[in-house]
Amino acid sequence: MNRPQTMLDPTSFKPKSVYRTYIAATPEKVWQALVDPSFTTRYFFGLSAEVEPRTGGRFRLLWPDGREHITGEVVDWSPPRRLCVSWDIQNMPPFSELPTTLVTYDIEPAGAVTRLTMTESHDWDVPREIMIGGEEGWPKIISGLKSLLETGNPLTFDMSEGPAPEFVAAVQKAADEKPWLKK
Amino acid sequence: MDLVFKALADESRRRLLDRLRADNGQTLNQLCAGLPGMTRQAVSKHLALLEEANLIAAIKRGREKLHYLNPVPIHEIAERWIGKFERSRLDALSQLKKALEARDE
Repeated sequence: MNRPQTMLDPTSFKPKSVYRTYIAATPEKVWQALVDPSFTTRYFFGLSAEVEPRTGGRFRLLWPDGREHITGEVVDWSPPRRLCVSWDIQNMPPFSELPTTLVTYDIEPAGAVTRLTMTESHDWDVPREIMIGGEEGWPKIISGLKSLLETGNPLTFDMSEGPAPEFVAAVQKAADEKPWLKK
Repeated sequence: MDLVFKALADESRRRLLDRLRADNGQTLNQLCAGLPGMTRQAVSKHLALLEEANLIAAIKRGREKLHYLNPVPIHEIAERWIGKFERSRLDALSQLKKALEARDE
């Protein structure tokens, strides 16, 4: 049995942010919420996930009108325990100029509930301002997923604000200087 | 939620979280080095309490245990009591607080 080929080397990526929550649902249900677009549209800012169910498969997150927001590949498909996907942001300068991000979901039984841990990893030294900018959005997504599974109702978001100016400025600076090329 | 408030009620534990916000994913040794006024034993104990409250998520990477500030529980508290219309007023208050504190220094 050949190991499935993936395009990138996950070992070169380091965890930079970790988000964790405990959900009153089975690991199978949590897995479904991550890969089934009828779930993701309800907690992931309206984005629908399109995940080819195999390691090395294609991964995309699409806006309601079908435009691509995130494209990547499935780095690890191990239902219902671990899903790892690579992220490339599309059509959203300066964000789309950043290098690939690795997003890993670990699903573990924890007593009567399920522990979900999302890890965001990078293969370059991301400035703290950029990571803190991302820390605005992820807790909303993770706690929205929890609400959806536990109550059937996702949280509502006010998306009118957009990213904070200092976050955009930090990303713009990185896009201009491209520190990931200086390895 | 009780655990979160209990964990946040201690100034040393809040300082630990501040250290992780400035530099996320530290080992116990790194955290101790950044907090010279605290014994290793105290840092360990505080970390365990913060982890129990889910304010810190620790992950293993090779032989190391890395500690990350987990903002999810704090976000959930905010969702519960702070509507989006309250936010701008709160922002104004925290700006005022910062301005007043800056004058004290």
